[in-house]
Formats: sequence, C-alpha cells, structure tokens
Amino acid sequence: MTVPTDKELSEHWRNEPAPLLPLLHAFHDRDGYLSDEAIDHVSQALKIPIAELYGTVTFYHHLSRREPGSHAPQGVAAPRVCMGPICSLRGGPAILEALKSEGATAMPCAGRCDEPVPVLRGAEVFVGMTPESSQARSSPMPPPNPDGVEECVFAAIREPGRAGIDGYRKTCGYEGLERAVAVSPDDVTEIISESQLAGRGGAGFPTGRKWKAVAEASGEPKTVVCNADEGEPGCFKDRAILDYDPHGLIEGMAIAAYASGATRGFIYLRYEYPETMNILERAIGEAEAAGYLGESILGKDFDFRIYLRRGAGAYICGEEGSLLNSLEGKHPFPRNRPPYPVTHGYENLPTVVNNVETLASVPHILRRGAEWYRGLGQNGHAGTKLISLSGDIRRPGNYEVPIGLPLQTLLHDWAGGPSDGRSIRAVTMAGLSGGFLAGDDLDVTLDEPSIRSVGSMLGAGGIMVFDDSRDMIAVAHAAMEFFAEESCGKCFPCRIGTQRLTERLAGGGQGQGPTDLTEWIDEVTDIGQTMKATSACGLGMAAPLITESLMRCFPRLVAEHVKS
Amino acid sequence: MSNPLADMDKPDVIFCIGTNMTECHPVAATRLKQALARGAKMIVADPRHIGLADLADVYLPIRVGSDVALLLAMAHVIVRDGLVDPVFIAARTTGSEAFFEHVGKFTPEWAQTITEVPAADIERAARIYGEADRGAIYYTLGITEHICGVDNVQSLCNLMLMTGNVGREGTGINPMRGQNNIQGAGDCGALPNNYPGFQPVTDPANQAKFEKAWGRKIDLENGITKVTALNLAGDRIRAMLIDGENTLLSDPDRKHCEHALRSLDHLVVMDIFMTDTAELADVVLPATAWAETDGVCANTERRVQRLRAAVPPAGEAKPDWWLISAIAKRMGIKGFDYASAKDVFNELCEVSTIYHGLNWDLIEDGAYHWPVPEKGHAGTPILHQDKFKNGRGVFMRPQYRDPAETISEQFPIWLTTGRRLESYHTRTQTGRSEGMDYLLPEETLEVHPADVDAWGLTDGGWCKLTSPRGSVEVKVQATNRSPKGTVFASFSFSDVPINALTGSGYDPITETAELKVCVVKVEPCEGIISPAPVI
Amino acid sequence: MIMKSSTAVAKMTLDGEEVGFTPGETVYEVAERHRREIPTLCYDPRLEPFGGCRLCVVELEGARAPVASCTTKAEPGMVIRTRTDAIDAHRRTLLELVASENRENDVDPLRGYASQELATLLDRYDARTGRFAGSHSGRTRDDDDNPFILRDYDLCISCYRCVRVCAEQQGDYAISIKNRGFATEITTEFSGLLRGSACVFCGQCVQTCPTGALADRKALANAEVPGKIEKTRTICPYCGVGCSVDVMTKGERVVGVQPAMDGPANEGALCVKGQFAFDFVHHHERLVKPWVRGEDGRLREASWDEALDRAAQGFLKAVAEHGRYSVYGIASGRAPHEAAYTMQKFIRMGFGTNQIDNCSRA
Repeated sequence: MTVPTDKELSEHWRNEPAPLLPLLHAFHDRDGYLSDEAIDHVSQALKIPIAELYGTVTFYHHLSRREPGSHAPQGVAAPRVCMGPICSLRGGPAILEALKSEGATAMPCAGRCDEPVPVLRGAEVFVGMTPESSQARSSPMPPPNPDGVEECVFAAIREPGRAGIDGYRKTCGYEGLERAVAVSPDDVTEIISESQLAGRGGAGFPTGRKWKAVAEASGEPKTVVCNADEGEPGCFKDRAILDYDPHGLIEGMAIAAYASGATRGFIYLRYEYPETMNILERAIGEAEAAGYLGESILGKDFDFRIYLRRGAGAYICGEEGSLLNSLEGKHPFPRNRPPYPVTHGYENLPTVVNNVETLASVPHILRRGAEWYRGLGQNGHAGTKLISLSGDIRRPGNYEVPIGLPLQTLLHDWAGGPSDGRSIRAVTMAGLSGGFLAGDDLDVTLDEPSIRSVGSMLGAGGIMVFDDSRDMIAVAHAAMEFFAEESCGKCFPCRIGTQRLTERLAGGGQGQGPTDLTEWIDEVTDIGQTMKATSACGLGMAAPLITESLMRCFPRLVAEHVKS
Repeated sequence: MSNPLADMDKPDVIFCIGTNMTECHPVAATRLKQALARGAKMIVADPRHIGLADLADVYLPIRVGSDVALLLAMAHVIVRDGLVDPVFIAARTTGSEAFFEHVGKFTPEWAQTITEVPAADIERAARIYGEADRGAIYYTLGITEHICGVDNVQSLCNLMLMTGNVGREGTGINPMRGQNNIQGAGDCGALPNNYPGFQPVTDPANQAKFEKAWGRKIDLENGITKVTALNLAGDRIRAMLIDGENTLLSDPDRKHCEHALRSLDHLVVMDIFMTDTAELADVVLPATAWAETDGVCANTERRVQRLRAAVPPAGEAKPDWWLISAIAKRMGIKGFDYASAKDVFNELCEVSTIYHGLNWDLIEDGAYHWPVPEKGHAGTPILHQDKFKNGRGVFMRPQYRDPAETISEQFPIWLTTGRRLESYHTRTQTGRSEGMDYLLPEETLEVHPADVDAWGLTDGGWCKLTSPRGSVEVKVQATNRSPKGTVFASFSFSDVPINALTGSGYDPITETAELKVCVVKVEPCEGIISPAPVI
Repeated sequence: MIMKSSTAVAKMTLDGEEVGFTPGETVYEVAERHRREIPTLCYDPRLEPFGGCRLCVVELEGARAPVASCTTKAEPGMVIRTRTDAIDAHRRTLLELVASENRENDVDPLRGYASQELATLLDRYDARTGRFAGSHSGRTRDDDDNPFILRDYDLCISCYRCVRVCAEQQGDYAISIKNRGFATEITTEFSGLLRGSACVFCGQCVQTCPTGALADRKALANAEVPGKIEKTRTICPYCGVGCSVDVMTKGERVVGVQPAMDGPANEGALCVKGQFAFDFVHHHERLVKPWVRGEDGRLREASWDEALDRAAQGFLKAVAEHGRYSVYGIASGRAPHEAAYTMQKFIRMGFGTNQIDNCSRA
C-alpha cells in the first residue's frame, strides 16, 4: 500500500463538507501523530490561521503531537488505556502500567463499561481485565428485558443481520421512512410531537418542536446533525445502537431531514468507537446504494446525504454548540445561546441536533404510531429510555426501560443487584453529571421529575453502581478530575471551579483548601452554587452535583477527609 | 481619500493597487481585514507578493510600471461584458463614448504581454470589480511614483466612473497618504500652484483675495516644483528654507540632491535631529517634536485633528511656526505676529475655503472632514456625492508607456522601492526608538530564491547593486515576496542609501519621481567592512 | 409632532424601571446606557460578545439561572435585575476564584490601558479574601525577549480578549488558545516566540488585557520614573491614517503611548510604530540649540539672535543678488498645519512668489 502524500490527503478532503477533523485524522492515521509540517499543510489547505489550528489541535486529547516511539508500528499512535470510573476500579491502572513501554497514555471513559477494560490501538479496541487477556471483539449485545417488557429502540436489535441493509429490511427496516414520505413533512412532525419523544441525550427538549422550528426557520441548506459523541462516563447505549442497528439511525436521520427540510446530515461519532466508524460507513454506503440516501429519495422531491465525522477526544464536543464548532473546524468552545441551532446551527444555518437514541426511536414511532410509543412509559410518562448500567452489579449492560420504572427494580430485579455479601453504597446518575444517589434516594423512579426531586438528573442515562467496598471520596475526586480535565476553558466558573473542587477532594496529601470543616464546606458550597448558577454550559452546571451529593450522602466521609 | 476610513469595512469589493497597506498603513489595513472577514472580495495588484496578496481573492503580480496596461484591459472587460453603470455615466460623466472606443483594442491578452499577468486573471478581476455593488479602490505611492503617475490615477478614475463606484458609502478612490500631515501641507497651500484650500494662484480673484487678507500682491504665475528647484539649485535657486525633511535620503538620486543642496548660497533647515540634510545647512534651527507641539493635522481621510503638547520642548526647541515667523520678522515681513498655534490656525481657516467653517475650538474632537465651507456645516466625509468638484467626471484616455528605464543586457533586473512596517522613512524617529532594531536591524535586498541561486548570491550574504546612477552594497534576503527578476529595498537606512540608485525619471505633470522603478544589475560582493573597533 | 419610527423603541424592565432599547442591543448595552456598571472581565466593546467571565450575569425573570447580559439580546417585555444579593454573591465568588489563580493582582498601570480592571473589581466587590487557594494558572514566557510585549501569563485569567482582538480587530490571528480548562495557555503557532509568528507587535493585545498579563515593556521600563501618570490626547506622528493616541507622561517625560479607544480614525488600534516608537522625543541627539556654520566651515552652536539673523540675512542677500525667485521653501509633511501655513505665507508674503512646495513629490 502506498503512503498518501500531504497533497493527496488535502486534495481529497478540502472540498468536502466539514473537512478539518477528517483531514487531521488522515494525517494522524498516516503518521501516528500530527507533525508541525502536517499542521502547516492543513492550515494552508483549509485556510485556517496556523496559530488557531495549532491551538485547536491541542484541544483534542487523541491528537498526538509526539512522534510514536521506534518500536511502534508505522503510523499507529501509542495505545490509550481507559481510566474511566469503572475501568480504573477494574484493572485499568495495571494495564496502563504494563503498556507504559509502548508509550501508552490514559484516556477518559471509552464507553465499554459493560465489559472493561478497553485499550485503543489505532483503529481497533482491545478489551480485557489484564494485558494478556486483552483482545479485539465486538461490543456486547444488550440483554433482553425481563418478562418481555416492551422495547422501542432495542425492539429489533437482536434480529440476526439487522446491521446490514438486507437484514434490516427483513425486519421492517425503512418502513418508517416510507410512511413518512407518504405524508407531508408537517404531518411527520405532528406524529413525533404526539409521541412526546424528547431529547434522549439528556436535555429532554421535545423533538417535534425542534424539527418544526428548523422547518420554519429561514436559510438553506438545512442540516441534521446526529450527536454520537457519547462522551459521558458510564454511557455506552449509543454504541449499542450504532453497532447493531446502524440503519435505524440512518432511517431516523432521513425522517428528521424530511420533516425539517434538511438536505445534509452529519454523524459526529466519538473517536473511541473505531469499529463503529466502519459499521456506519458501510451502512451509509448501503443506504445510498439502495436509494434511501442521495437524490430523489423514494421517488420524492427529497435529497439527503449523510457525512460521517469522527471526534478527536473532547467530552465538551457532546455539547451541541461545541460539537457544531468542532464540525466547522473552529475551536470547540460551546456557543452562546440564544441563538439556538434550530436557527443558527451548522454554518449558522438552521440545524436539527439530535442524539442517537432520539433518532433511532423515530422509525419505530413512524411505523407503530405515536400512541404506541407514548404507551411504553409507566406512571403517566411517555416512552422509553436506554440506561447504561455498569459497575458493581451482576448484569451490567444496556437496558431499555419504560420511563417511570423504579430504579430499585432495574438494579435488583433486572440486573441482579450487587454481588454476594455486598450492598449498594451509591449510584451515579446521568453518567457522572447527576452526581450520586444513595440511601433513600435510590427509591426514585427513572424519570426526570422524580430524579430532579432529589437534586440529580436522568440525563443521558448512564448509571454506575458502587458497592460498600468503594472509597467514595476517591470516586468523587476522580469524577471531579474528569470534569476539570474536560472543562473547555471558556467560562471562569467551570475552568477555575472544577480545578478548585478537584484540589479540595484530592487525598494522599495532595489536597488544597481549608482544613477546617466549616470553611471547607463554605468554600465548596460557594464554588458549587456559583458554578451551577453562572456556568456557560451544562458541564460547569453539572460538575458541582458531585460535591453537593457527596456532602449530602456522605457527610461523615467528608468530615474525615477534611480532617486528614 | 474620497471616502472615510470608517468606510473601509463596508465595500463588497476591494481593489488595492500599488499599496502595501499592511506595512505602510497598518491600522487602515485592519479595517480591510474586517471587511474580508465579513465576506468582501479583494483584488490586489502589486509586483511583490505583499501581505495583502495572501488575503486576496485575485492577486495580480504585475510587472513594475505596467499598471496602465492592466487598468485599460480591466476597463475593456467591463465594457465588453456590459458591466458599466449607464445611469451614472449619463448623469455624472462626460467622454464615455470616446473612452469606450479607446479601450476596445486593449484586450486582456494584449495586457498579458505587458503586465505578465495571465489574461484570465485580469478578466476575473475586472468582472469582480465590475459586478460590485460597493467597489472601493485603494492606492498609495505604487500608483503615483511613476513617470505615468497621472495616467495611473486617471485609469483608476475611469474604472470608478464607468461603474459608478463613487459618492456612496464603501466606494470611491482612496489614496492612502504616507505622512501624518502630508495632506495638511497641501491643504495649507504649501504648493507652487495653490493658495491654502487649493485655491489656484493663477486666478486673479484669488490674487485679490489674498492681497486683501495679507497686504501683498502675489504672482499670478505658478511657482516651480521642489524637483525643479533642486535641479536649479545654485543656478536660479540660491536660498532654501527646508522644514523637517531629510531630502538627502528620501529624494531620488542622492548624488544629485547632495550636489544641489551644496550649490546653494544659503540653506536653512528646521528639524528635530541633525539629519544628513541638516549637516549641509548654513543655519540649523531646533524644532519642537511630536508630543511637544500644539497644532493641527489632517489625515488621509481629510479629518482635521488636534496635536497636543504633552511635555515641554527639548532644550530651546521652538515650534516651526515660531521659527519661520521669527525669521520673517527679522526680515521685516509683515503678518507674522502670532502668539500661538491657535492664532495661526484660525488665520488659515479665515483664508481657506475648505476650512472656512472651522476654528481651533471646533476641531477639539476631530469630528470634521474637510471641506467645511461655512460655519455650521457638518463636514464632508464622502466626496463627490451629488456632483464632482468641476461638474462632470471626465473620462481620460491614457496610453500605456514603458517606464523611464527598461531592463537591458547591462541592467537586467528591475528594482522597486518602498517602506517597511517597522521603520518610518529615513528612521530619524524610529531609528532612535528603543527596540525597533529587534524587528528590523538592517536593510536587505529582497530577491526571489531562484534568482539568489541564478545570480550567484547567498541568502544573508552581500551584493552590489548598481543602477545607471550609482551603486550600493546591501545584504541579500531570499524571499518569495519578490517575483523573479525584480528586487526590492526600502530607503530607510542611511548606510544603504537606496536613493543613490533611483531617479530614472519624473511624471511630466506632477514631477513626481519614478521611485517605484529603475533598472539595476546585482553582483555578489564581500560586503561592507565594519570599521575597526576603537581601542 | 410626528415621532420618527426609529425613536419608537421597544421596552423592557431594568431593576423595576421601564427602559427603551433598540432591537439588536444586548441587555448589557442597555444596562450600561442606564449606568448600571455591570462588572466584566472578558468584555471589550469592540469585540463580539464572548460570555466567558460570567461576571455580567443578571437575573432574567422566567429563566432557570442567571443569564450573561453581554450575550443576551434585549427582548420586549424582559424583566431584568442587574443587582440582587444572589447576583452579588456570585460575582464576588467569581472574583475570589479569579484572584486565586494569579501570582499577584496589583500591577503598574503602565502595563496597559485595561490593566487595572481586575484590581478595581476586586476592590469593588471586596474580593481580596484569599479564599479558594490552589494552584496558579498560566505560565509566564520568560524566554520571549522581544522588547515590546511582556508575556507575563502568570497573571493570565483566560478571558481571551488578546486572542479575540488579534483576530477580530487586527485581523492577524497571531495568537490562539492552547490546551483547555485550567491548563489553558495563550500561544502562538507551535508555542514559539512572538517574533517569527504572525505577530506584528501592534500592541492591541496588550491594551485590552484586563490584568496586565500582557504588558507594554517600553512603558513599564519607566515604572520607576517618579510622578503621577498624566495622559494627553494627540495624533500619532507616523503615517497618514491619523490614529488618536494618549501620550502618557510623568512630569516632563513621555513614558508611554496608549491608543485612544474613541479615536475616530483608529478606534483603539495602533501599529508597532505608533505604539512603541515614541522615545525618540527624549533622544540625546535631539537638537536643543540653534546651529550655524562657522568661518571654519563647520556647524557650531549659536545664540538665537545669531542664528535667526544669519537665517534672515541669507534670504535678504539672495533676493538682493539674485532676485526674489531665488528663494525657495519646502514644507514638511510631518509638521503641523501651522508650520506649512507659515512657510507658504513666508514665501508668498516675503517674496511675492509661489516658490513653495512640500515633500509629497518624493
């Protein structure tokens, strides 16, 4: 295989939409890192000022600026070992240590919490609890619900061949799109509105309203962006959809495009899912060949193309403003809102930004009706939610629960509870963004109103379980350190606040801050309240839930920590 | 400038020709960059790949001195493709038919043979400017410092007139003036043909007006220009009063200048430093510097602004107006009993038509662009809005002419000169400010890397540069900014007096020197041997 | 009287008072017009609103959390409270946090135009409490030895005004943001020195820096000169753009230059010459006395009487011997109107000729 030249790479990408990330990846994949010369070349090819491009490259933690060692295979970056909240308790540190000689570095949660520990090597993910047992393998299939509790997104995911277009069509695939284009775009939006489908990435904005706003906004071309930057620690539900039901997402995007009047789509996939990238690439190709993407789709006056773009390691790019800036090749800071993406999204034009789960629900709703979907919830809630369950629990994995299901039912009846002799000390909510629940808090039901009543949130649906053997101060410290490392640096309360809270949670003589408990609590509380009230995006608003819930659930541990 | 600086972020098409704005007018250039950030298109014509060229949508690397050919061909395309503004032409201009016929033969292909720019690029540039809603032209000395400087300016005026890009926001023809008060020097009547306010001396009515104001009848004949005066020094010109100009370094043909000044019977120089020119004077008078001087200046957009003294004068230095008045009084000349700069300025406003509505107090905030013909007038940020000064805009019909000198076997290389960001003119001020040497320690000759090799030079080594008028030795800098076959240097450093080489010819109307073109040969040499250290 | 439509502005409520605004105005702009003195650190009126420092947050009725007034457009019917106990508490906490990340917070005002902003706010909000101790952000670039811009990033608070002014106002994109979060740094391409980058040393970054992390090295060299800083508004002595500057003096000494933010030609911008090339005024080679050429053919210092007499006599002699056309005057493009006006009047009144020109033909 001949190695492509700089010019061949830039010529291939420069006139494509959203070319910066794929072009940087092309250089990174070729060389195993980004050299000064590569950055200089990309700067000239895409007319991005070189200082700005250099700064942007340093933002993404997967873009290495260091040449791989001589032992490394040509063009493969040094291995990256997951040190997420679960993996760091399950052998991550030992694996990292063992791979140090290969230049391995730590990465934040890579979305394999149901089957630790992932190690990213070039375009492959190896998993195993020890370096020796580590092997490349497909991600786990979501277990079916007990007692046949009805699913939506996962309803057909276990059908054989569902990831390929033939298998997909055999299981009613693309019927939703066919039904959609048979009616008007407004009618499609109306069905989605009636279903009460809301953003499943965590924000919970009504999907129908979003599509309608884009349809009514002026400016073209319009865009559908699928947020597949599943960066929240403890969340891996989107991965399951993308790996086993990629056409479900494509179909959902096409329906969203039809309803909103969009002609181009992007899937912004997190870097940590390289195999998923291939699966999606193949699926998009199949859909184009079959006429579900492209021009005059299903014989209608409806054109829509999907471009696959890969992130480069930045949690904040799951925030929609950052994601859009990242797509556009800009420094991935969140955007000020308003204006919202529905009017000023990709390239400042009307844009639907939806999460994978949201979009993957859409074909099912179109096929089976709004009423059916609404009826999947419990206690007056509409629809389902995917929960990524991991940690100290017998059957970790992705579960599609009726919204309103009691948390205890999921933990104990569905997932088998903690291992023998252990009890659940705490769980996190919304990955890490909801902080901890413990004690009586665990009696919540899995819906936003219930969870918000205890100061937390359901969010993207990641729940990590910690049993009574775990040091919750250390868990909280690692969580806050994650937020500090992923804080983009745009707004003061988050940039400084996450750092100061991390310093206040650090143990082993590394801590800073008051040694008097009252003063410590005052400082941590003041920082947290100001972060929640004034941060520019959700990261800074959510991070202090860690300290807030820690102080609420574990006051004695906090007192001991401050004393030491 | 026909339009104010604040307009510079408003055009949708910017045409920069003969202006290295990012280096010579950096703050004005920031506004152009802002316009580009908002989506404006830019055409840049310059022999050198200057900073603006990097930002241009169309860059036209024309051969030095070929501007008229380029501009005629652009006019040709605009006529041919029907991009003219017939309403504007009918309402505001005269001579269009003859002009359109005139440009008929000047095709882009013809211009390519002269400018060495591909005809297709000339077409693109012409269409972009011709299709502009708001097209603005900016130029500097790269247009005027040629033997065809007047033709160049007229060619630009033609483009503006035929497309109606004048008299509106974000349009116009905008010369960028190079010195902080060069506009003011002309405004104040320091010209051989005009009284203050550009009132012609040849008009008997003006003669009468100034006789009444000043009490002396002044000649109806124009004076001679500075260029002619220097030519006649020691002959018809015997005494000179020079204010703050380092003629010896800044004017072309240094040998000739020095000879001229030495030929005078009497030379009085006012300056803030003992410049090379002051060294030749019979009397040198110490003038107050910037920050020591109260007064008024006018910028390139005709904005009249106050200079204010912040510190007392150095030693016994006096303001220029005081020095001149003191000489005048000792010669018994009447009308120089000024007590302050304010007195002088208010008298200027009395006699000047364009400043008539102003006085010292009114200009406190720099809010006025002249002309301000009467009190209560708001000033004129945009010229030519409803009509031109002389009625209709006249299409002229310039022809392309070669520069005064063209390359030959003996002198096979074009030399063009200019300025650099980090130094100002002859460095009398920037050369005496700490730290400027860090950015620009010495003069260099900018040579295309291929020419460096072809001519046996080395990057960083020395070369001898020879024109028909003299030689200088200068360090070589290999750079893609210079096109092949053309070299560049500034006239800033007295140890590399580039003006020993220039001075090939003058515009017949303005007598502006062709500082932008002369021919040279370049040879490697050992370099200037630094003087032995004093022990 | 018929109201013009543009004066029929929309209304909103600001601290209980109904106020008008023009559509497109931000809440901050409306509040500033009504003298609310909302604190900011990342705000520069010339730049696009950024929303980073969050000090400008205000309460918006109906909103879940306070909103940044700088990025929030005024809307008809909005109810805004610019100061409440909660808002003040957040502002104080934010300022305490900012103070905690710096080596020091009080700097010499010679560092730059905006350099006192942080210290002033710390005083106003009584935020010098020493709370929130922890590691410091930023890393001073001692290795950058350029003579103009001190890069004292220990004092950087990541407001990015420097980066934004370089891009949005200067258009040079010479500096950018490296890394993220608390590890953020201001950088050139590949973390190099300013020289060799796209920086043209215009100094705009220095003048917008609210902490003095970027500082005017040439002005700062005069920190020890005794006296209070006075500012005098004048025009830059270099090219024809006519930028307004404030000359800073201590006693009889020029100690620095700052751009006039309200200068009509430059609106706060300068170039390397106007910003940094000011000290020629006090150069030891300045002419401080008249000089005349002596019998020996050399120039020597002279009294005013002698020099002015010599000057006058020379012109009279030329006229006497060679006629009035033999005297010629050349005015300067660098001297003020008064110089050019007296020069041309001298020639015209003295000799009745038009033997006068200026240096623009060079």
